[in-house]
Amino acid sequence: MNPCPCGQLGNPAKACRCTPDAVLRYQARISGPLLDRIDLQVEVPAVGAELLAGAADGEASNVVRERVAAARVGANARQGSSNSALAGDALDLLCALDAAASRFLQSAAERLGWSARGFHRILRIARTIADLADSRAIEIAHLGEAIQYRRVLQTH
Amino acid sequence: MAFAVVHSRALRGLEAPAVTVEVHPANGLPSFTLVGLADTEVKEARERVRAALQTSGLEFPHNKRVTVSLAPADLPKESGRFDLPIALGILAAAGHIDAARLEAYEFAGELSLGGELRPVHGALAVGLALHRGATEVERARTLVLPAASADETASVGGLSVRGAAHLLDVVRALLPGHAADASGLREARPLRRAAAPSLPDLRDVKGQAGAKRALELAAGGELSLLMVGPPGTGKSMLAQRLGGLLPELSHEAALESAAILSVAGAFNAAAGASACCARRITPHRQRRWSAAARRRGRARPRWPTTACSFSTSCPSFRAPRSRPCVSRSRAAASSSRGRRGKPTSRPASSSSPR
Repeated sequence: MNPCPCGQLGNPAKACRCTPDAVLRYQARISGPLLDRIDLQVEVPAVGAELLAGAADGEASNVVRERVAAARVGANARQGSSNSALAGDALDLLCALDAAASRFLQSAAERLGWSARGFHRILRIARTIADLADSRAIEIAHLGEAIQYRRVLQTH
Repeated sequence: MAFAVVHSRALRGLEAPAVTVEVHPANGLPSFTLVGLADTEVKEARERVRAALQTSGLEFPHNKRVTVSLAPADLPKESGRFDLPIALGILAAAGHIDAARLEAYEFAGELSLGGELRPVHGALAVGLALHRGATEVERARTLVLPAASADETASVGGLSVRGAAHLLDVVRALLPGHAADASGLREARPLRRAAAPSLPDLRDVKGQAGAKRALELAAGGELSLLMVGPPGTGKSMLAQRLGGLLPELSHEAALESAAILSVAGAFNAAAGASACCARRITPHRQRRWSAAARRRGRARPRWPTTACSFSTSCPSFRAPRSRPCVSRSRAAASSSRGRRGKPTSRPASSSSPR
């Protein structure tokens, strides 16, 4: 989705023509409860001309696919389902944090005002990040990355 | 014998609950009545069956009061899939075919006025339901389908599926005594699973490392993803590349995915089982939910289920008013009820204002 009706909000190269009220109305069409249920929320900023003119960067699909497949096989072998289906005891057991990580998560939850659902979603995201990194335990770095994926729309 | 029972299956979302077609020709004022919560196209089966029997040189009991009941009575039934079982029931009740032999079969197929069998949608879902049948007797039944629908069902392992081109082929196989000749029922051949289609590569997108990483997480943990950004920055491009990050589907998952296409009537037999790859991803710009649930009262999977879909501008969606709609999740295809009922599930954007 776009951040506002004209689409240019937050774009450094182009000015946004929308009134704050219009932005608010536009973003409110994705309601808070719905947004709370979306696991990953990322910003896709405008890309500079220099980067566009340059050579292709990043990994190819088949490289990422192998990593994804390994993570999914691992998750299936461990809990018999995908990470998105983790709930209840399995979530507590498989997303257990050490003392430092737990403190970090609690302070982030308090500062950012997550719902209980949001809190559990962060754990599932962090579990997936750890799986992709082939790590048994969830570390603070994994949690830190997971927290980034929960804050995009400014009005919410 | 003045009573016959034929086994068939209805469609309810992805489920295919068993239906018994009971035919009872009685003395009285000549009529042909169909009961059992039948939709218009099932009621029209009376005309098709009557014509198909006559043009095939078979006898229709014009001097009888014929009652056809589709049980269970409270299960909504639609499409022409009950034509073949109704025709066979009438023939069995009149003693033209062996009613005892019908017990070992399940039938589905729409009849043309000339008696040819037309394909039915959801054949694969019917095959899967039979395969997972409740009882041993049910699982051992042979499924007889129109030739065009039989092959897609043969992909389900351990199932006996036959394809027939004409009503007479089926009738010949069910003649009483030694006259039976099953050569008209062709054994269905499983479609070969086609190679995965080549999908766009993630390297085509320049920059956007954060979004690419989120895409990887979404693929790895089956997580949902929202991308926010100005127009033209690559959100659709990125979403189109999600399919290339997903591993091959397992056989079970591929069958289920193909069954969704089969129910939607979009299974393309000519393209092999490429549907079984099911990594179809299509962008839908500005498409409205009401268009997604266009046919009133009919629970058919529309785009949210038939593809691994994404929408490019979700605030532009409007929820349909008071219309049943197939919800986004795959399982919900089976929970939506047909027939002008209250909406059982609302699309995800229903909470948007208007």
